[in-house]
Amino acid sequence: MSVNISKPSFQPYTGEKARISRAFDYLILVLALFLFIGSFHLHFALTVGDWDFWVDWKDRQWWPLVTPLMGITFPAAVQAVLWEKFRLPFGATLCVTALLIGTWVARIFAYHLWNYFPINMVLPATMLPGALVLDVILMLSNSLTVTAIFGGAAFALLFYPSNWPIFGMFHVPVEYGNGQLTVADLFGFEYIRTGMPEYLRIIERGTLRTYGQYATPLSAFCSALLCSLMYTLWWYIGKWFATVRYLNKI
Amino acid sequence: MKTLLIKCAVSLGLMLSLYALNVQTVMAHGEKALEPFIRMRTIQWYDVKWDKQQFNVNDEVSVSGKFHVAEDWPISVPKPEATFLNISTPGPVLIRTERYLNGKPFMNSVALQPGGDYDFKIVLKGRLPGRYHIHPFFNLKDAGQVMGPGVWLEIAGTAADFSNEIKTINGELIDMESYGLSNGIFWHLFWGALATAWLLWWLRRPLFIPRYKMLQAGLEDELVTSNDRLIAKVMLVGVPVLVLAVNAMTIGDYPNTIPLQASLDRILPLPAQVNAGVVDVETLKAEYRIPERMMTFTLKINNRSENPVQIGEFMSANVHFLNKDLQASYQGDAGTMTAPEGLSLENPAPIQPGEQRTMTITSSDALWESEKLDGLIRDADSRIGGLLFLYDTVVGERYISSISAAVIPKFN
Repeated sequence: MSVNISKPSFQPYTGEKARISRAFDYLILVLALFLFIGSFHLHFALTVGDWDFWVDWKDRQWWPLVTPLMGITFPAAVQAVLWEKFRLPFGATLCVTALLIGTWVARIFAYHLWNYFPINMVLPATMLPGALVLDVILMLSNSLTVTAIFGGAAFALLFYPSNWPIFGMFHVPVEYGNGQLTVADLFGFEYIRTGMPEYLRIIERGTLRTYGQYATPLSAFCSALLCSLMYTLWWYIGKWFATVRYLNKI
Repeated sequence: MKTLLIKCAVSLGLMLSLYALNVQTVMAHGEKALEPFIRMRTIQWYDVKWDKQQFNVNDEVSVSGKFHVAEDWPISVPKPEATFLNISTPGPVLIRTERYLNGKPFMNSVALQPGGDYDFKIVLKGRLPGRYHIHPFFNLKDAGQVMGPGVWLEIAGTAADFSNEIKTINGELIDMESYGLSNGIFWHLFWGALATAWLLWWLRRPLFIPRYKMLQAGLEDELVTSNDRLIAKVMLVGVPVLVLAVNAMTIGDYPNTIPLQASLDRILPLPAQVNAGVVDVETLKAEYRIPERMMTFTLKINNRSENPVQIGEFMSANVHFLNKDLQASYQGDAGTMTAPEGLSLENPAPIQPGEQRTMTITSSDALWESEKLDGLIRDADSRIGGLLFLYDTVVGERYISSISAAVIPKFN
């Protein structure tokens, strides 16, 4: 015996209904943009902090570990909402773009114009390539598990190579004070930071010494594993804290 | 409602009117904020001098001096295993081009030895015109900033004239003010353009309400089209390939890069300058009388030199209390941190060679209060520390002893 189950139907909006619906889209988008510029930027400044602020903190071990790990949080939460409820696969790209807007505003106005640091000393890192890949993996797989494992890993693994074109040139050696420094180290020495003495840098510390000088791939793969777990955690945080109850009343 | 609006307008007007007042810019930077026992018993600065205080953008200026690392290092302050000789500036209005400890250049943090004596020199270069209050100081890991004496520097000229060119090991001359900036902006714009294109690809179509309703209606297949999938597949392959290709090109462009350098410098102290063993000073007692702002020390002094010596100065936390009879021997600058007649001796007669004398000395001045050093009696570790300067006026020799003692407060 077969059972007929009637599916709910949907007629595309037209006329005034479509116009109001579109206005609602723009309202939400603008609010979301400012919300993520503020909140993700604050989250990033508090967790990644100096690793993203200063060119002489961007090391081989901690920078590629910490940055993607803290950077995948908001993208995962926002993806959970935008994909599950609307099948919109741009949560990660939207978050990281908002983060970069906030970061650039802060670097220009707070660091450069207010505190006189040259902007090249405080260039932010980019996570946009990883965010784009994270979005398309979610879209093509439609799976939290696949996105967490492969998307999370890709987000972490793409971080260092996508930033090396920006920061590689700051690792050119300079002979200075009877020793060798990178150009990045020299920025830290020359451009005085009263509250950020050199010993505060958490760089090149740890036990990644038994694999020769291949610290970066090890850090990146460690970050990939952790990003997979972090992605899942924040997916559920996004899911728990989001609601569409008001849309059901429309 | 009208009343509320008026109240809001008045409040806003009052707040905005503050901007019309001639509010002075705050010039201090917390040099008195650190607890007194840390300022007195960690880094003890002396003979600090600037070679000039008025100069132009691109001109170099140096500050040099000496410091003694107190033997009586506070138990609650981590030992100076990692410290950083720094300059307090309101941002990089000057850049630091050279720095020496005991004549050796050093770029990183440095480990110091309690009881050790060091001399230092920092060379700076004017970057932004203005008038700035500048101190040399030590960042002490897990403890805070111990300031050296500060001065006002006036930098004239134009900020646009500043240049900072350095040569890399490969021989390339680079301008630190702009190096890598346009390249960094290019890559941010490049990925930003790609991200914007991806966002616009989705934002151009109806979003939240229709898509939610369609998803509820089981029309999921209509929400993601075959074109969307094709573009996604291209990006899935194209973005990583592009990232790896550009990364490989960068490695080719800069084959000789090195990791960030993170070593700790270890520079041995100089031969003893303080407590050098010629004149020994032991502190028997220290008493602070609050109403008189007066610290009295009972000292046992043993003169083992060949000439008579006299106490000329007591210095603690950059405050100098001078014996008025020996002001001519003072080697520092007479600034606002100097009490020219702040030191008096119970027995002003010179201490003869071979003589061992127990005597009291008194340092009194309002600087105890204005420099917030009298807060010592309310510190958890209420011990004082400082340097005592004794002079052999026959041959012009100076002997320095570090003294420290628990402080007994007298409230009335």
